[in-house]
Amino acid sequence: MMNRRKFLGLGLAALALAPMTKLNATDFRKEKPDAWKAEKPADAIKALYGDIKPEEKSVEIKAPKLAENGGKIPVVVKSDIEAKSVAIFQDANPRSTVAVWTVPEGGIVDYAITMKMKGSGKITAIVEGKDGKFYSKVLPIEVSKGGCGG
Amino acid sequence: MKVKAKEKDGIVKVKVLAKHQNIGPEEGEKKKKEANFITSVVAKVGDKIVYELSGSGFMSKNPLYKFKYKGKKGDKISVTWTDLKGETKTKEKAVK
Repeated sequence: MMNRRKFLGLGLAALALAPMTKLNATDFRKEKPDAWKAEKPADAIKALYGDIKPEEKSVEIKAPKLAENGGKIPVVVKSDIEAKSVAIFQDANPRSTVAVWTVPEGGIVDYAITMKMKGSGKITAIVEGKDGKFYSKVLPIEVSKGGCGG
Repeated sequence: MKVKAKEKDGIVKVKVLAKHQNIGPEEGEKKKKEANFITSVVAKVGDKIVYELSGSGFMSKNPLYKFKYKGKKGDKISVTWTDLKGETKTKEKAVK
């Protein structure tokens, strides 16, 4: 029969193993819940990365200058920087953060998504480099028909 | 969910088309529908994560995700999304 000491020891061993079985590297929704509630891009960036001063270079955003349908706007973020993470924000919707990527080791930063915007506004992309620096790009776009149930 | 993966010169281009309403909280109120959207998309080749996104309700309905990674033909890429309610869908596809 298993005695108490052995039983406790097993429990500790299981606890020690638990973090290793974690599937994803980073779940930004769980780890940075405030970043998803912020209304302004500046606040969202602060909640996600802290007080950073990104350099405005080396990041490219591709999006239509005039989006006819705000319900499906194709947006591409590209960068040659060796990155740890990439995030997209905008200032037209009730909350600011759209998506955050964890860039895997040796990953290529060339991400395309389709997003919604309630009206015209600015899209901000932040790239967190492996060098510990932050890079950004801001792109204003016009939306003729809002996409948030409007 | 539709997944397409094609290799050229060591770079695999992947397109993922998810079938999801993707309704954010404010939109749900307006449309009198429950808010639910894709919160994460993860793509793996074997055990290796090649793509990882945390999403919001501001992705479009039936969102399209495109990305690239260094890989080769014949590998199997498996893409999984998870939504706010905890539902998940996985699709595996061979790289062409």
